[in-house]
Amino acid sequence: MNSHRSSSFFIVSSLLAGVALTGCMPGPAEFNLNMAYVRKMERSVDDDYQFETEQTRDIANIVESLFGTPDDPHLPRFLDESTGEPVLADIIDKGWLDMAAGEVSSDENGMATGVYREHCVHCHGITGDGMGPTAEFLNPYPRDFRSGRFKFTSTPVGKKPTDEDLRKTLMEGIEGTAMPSFKLLAEEEFTAALNYLKYLSIRGEVERRLIYELAQLDAQEGERLIDLSLRETEPDDFKDQEEIIKETVASVAKTWRDAEESVTEVPDQIVDVRSNEEIRDLVERGRQLFHGDVAACSKCHGALALGDGQTTDYDEWTKELEPENEEALAEYLSAGALTPRNIIPRNLRLGVYRGGRRPQDLYWRIANGIEGTPMPAALLKADDAPPEVQGLNTEDVRALIEYVRSLPYEEINRAPYELENKRNRS
Amino acid sequence: MNRFMGVLWSLLFLMVPILGVGVFLFAIMGVGPLYDHWLPININRHGHVIDDLFMFILWLTGIIFVGTSFALFLFMWKYDAAKNQKPVVFSHGSHTLEIIWSIIPAVVLFFIAIYQMNAWADAKMRRPTEIINGEEVAQAPLAEVTGRQFEWRIRYAGFDGVLGTGPGADGEMGTADDTRDDLFVVNELHLPMDEEVVLAIKSQDVLHSFFLPNMRIKQDLVPGMLQYVWFEATQPGTYDIVCAELCGWGHYKMRGRMIVHETREEYEAWLVEEYRKQQSLPSVDNE
Repeated sequence: MNSHRSSSFFIVSSLLAGVALTGCMPGPAEFNLNMAYVRKMERSVDDDYQFETEQTRDIANIVESLFGTPDDPHLPRFLDESTGEPVLADIIDKGWLDMAAGEVSSDENGMATGVYREHCVHCHGITGDGMGPTAEFLNPYPRDFRSGRFKFTSTPVGKKPTDEDLRKTLMEGIEGTAMPSFKLLAEEEFTAALNYLKYLSIRGEVERRLIYELAQLDAQEGERLIDLSLRETEPDDFKDQEEIIKETVASVAKTWRDAEESVTEVPDQIVDVRSNEEIRDLVERGRQLFHGDVAACSKCHGALALGDGQTTDYDEWTKELEPENEEALAEYLSAGALTPRNIIPRNLRLGVYRGGRRPQDLYWRIANGIEGTPMPAALLKADDAPPEVQGLNTEDVRALIEYVRSLPYEEINRAPYELENKRNRS
Repeated sequence: MNRFMGVLWSLLFLMVPILGVGVFLFAIMGVGPLYDHWLPININRHGHVIDDLFMFILWLTGIIFVGTSFALFLFMWKYDAAKNQKPVVFSHGSHTLEIIWSIIPAVVLFFIAIYQMNAWADAKMRRPTEIINGEEVAQAPLAEVTGRQFEWRIRYAGFDGVLGTGPGADGEMGTADDTRDDLFVVNELHLPMDEEVVLAIKSQDVLHSFFLPNMRIKQDLVPGMLQYVWFEATQPGTYDIVCAELCGWGHYKMRGRMIVHETREEYEAWLVEEYRKQQSLPSVDNE
C-alpha cells in the first residue's frame, strides 16, 4: 500500500518537474532578424557569400537600440535634434504603442493591453513578418509588414497607406482572406493596434534597408555598419556610420509622413448619381473597355472576368524569394520564408472586393494599381484629351467601375439557392 | 491516515448533492434581487416558449436530482458498514420494480416530446409568410448572415427586399435606388422592432452556430446548407451575436452586434445611410 502511494507521488512530481523543465514559461518575446532578406542580400554580393556573424548581429543591435523590444518598444529619438527631419512621434504615438505591446493583460482601469499579441500575433507574428503560427495554413498568407508595402490604399503604388486606409482594413476586415473585422474592439484598442502596425512596418523596413546598406559596404573586407570602437579612435568615420543609420530612419519616416498628401482624389464623376438609362450605357461601355486594348483587364482577369486570364504570376513579396530559381528558393525557405504561391487575379463575379466595394475603392484600385501585385495603375488621360490619345478618361473609369459592380449581379452568377432553394424547409 | 482520507473522500462526494441542490435552488429563485438573474433578457415575442420549456425541464430534473440524492444519502446512512453487522443480501432484481422505473421515465420523456413539438415546429418549420400578389408565400429574409472565421458577414436585401437582385437579374434595371441595393455590412445586424424578421443564415468555411441569446435563437451552420431563423423583437437596443460552436482558435471573439431599431422608419433611415456610404455618397444630413 505504502509503496503504491509513494510511486504515484513519484509519477505526479516527475510530471510536474517535466512541465517545468520543458518550458511552461517561455522567455521574453524577441524580434527575429529578417533572415530571408539577409540571405537575399548576401546572394546579391555573390551566390556563396555570407556576412560575418558580427555584421548581422550589428543590424539586430542597431535596430534594437532604435526600436526596442516587443515588450519595451520605443522610437528613435535622435531625428528631431540633429536633422530637423520629421520625428517618428508624428507618425506613431508612444502611448498607444505601449498599450499594444507586451503581454496580453489589462491596466488598472480594465483597459486591454498587449492588443497586438491578443489579436494579431498568431497570423502576423511577433516581428510583423506575416509568419505567425497560423500563417502557413492561410491562403493568402498574412501580410508581411516589414517591406512597408500595403495593398489597399488610397495612395498610388510606391506610397504608404494613410491612417484611414489601415483603419478601414482593421474595421471591415478583408473579405476573401483570413483577415477578420475588428469592428467590435474598443476605440482605444483599435488605435493602439494601428500604431503598433505602423511601428512594426517602419521597424521592419529600416531593418531591410540596413541589411541592404550592409551589402553595399565593402562587405568582403568584413567592414561593419557601426563600429563602436571607432567612436574614440576615428570620430569622423563613426559619425559617417551614424549618418547612414539616421538617413535610413529619416527616409522611411518621410514616406509615412508623406502618405496623407499623396492620396488620389476621387473625381465627382466617379460617384455622382446617374439615371438607370445612363448606368446601363456605362455598363455596356465598361464591358467593351474591359476587353479592349487600353484597359486590357481581360488579359489577367479573363474573358469572363473569372480571374483566369493568367494564373502563373507572383506578388512582390513572393518574387523576392525568386520562386523560379530552385537553388535560391531552397535557401530562402530554410531561412524561414513560406512556400511561394501564385497570385491569382480576382474573380470579379463573386462580389467579393478585398479593398472595399464603394465606387471610390474601385477607383483607387484602378487608378492607383495595387501595391505589390501585378495589378497596374490604369493609363489615365485628361478628360479633354482627343480620342486618339491612348488612355482612359474619368468617364471610362466610371464605366469600368459600373461594369465590375454589375458583374456579380448577372443572372449566371446567382447561386442556385438564390433562384430556388431545395433545402428550403418552409 | 486512512481514516483521514476516508473522511476527506466522503466530504468531497457529499459536496456533489449539496452543490447540485444549491445550483438548482439558485436557478429557480426568480424573486427579489435574483429576478432575471438566470437567463439573459428575452426580447423575442416567441422566446417565452423556449424559456418555459427550459424551466419545465429544469424543475423536472431538479426535483428528480434532489429526490435521488436524498435517497442515495439515506441508504448510505442506513447501511453504513461500521454500524451494520448483518450479512449482505444479494438480490437478482425485481421484475415489478424494473417495469416501474422503465415506464415512469418513458412517460416523462414522451410528455416532453409531445410538449416540445409545437415549439420545435414554430421555431424550425413554420416560417412566417407574407402575401405577394394575392398569394401566401414564405417571408423573404431581411438579410443573409454568413459566418466565417471569425466574423459575421451580413448582406441586406435592401429596399426591394430581394437578395442578389440588380441589373440583368430581370433584364431591367429598375430605378436608380433599387438596383444593386444589396448592402454589405460586417458584424452589425440592424432590424426593426415589432416585426417578424426572417434571416437566411449560412457558413462560408466550417461549422459555426448562429446564436442570438436574447432572441432564444441558436442554429448550427453547416457549410453548403442554407437555413432560416425568424423572430420578432420587442425591445429596442443593442444585443450580442455570438458563435456557439467551436469553429477554430478565434471562436471566442466571433462576436457581432444586433441593433434593434424602435421603428421601421428608423431602420430604413439607417439603411439609406448605409446605402449612401456604400455608394461613396455623402450622408443625407450633409446633402
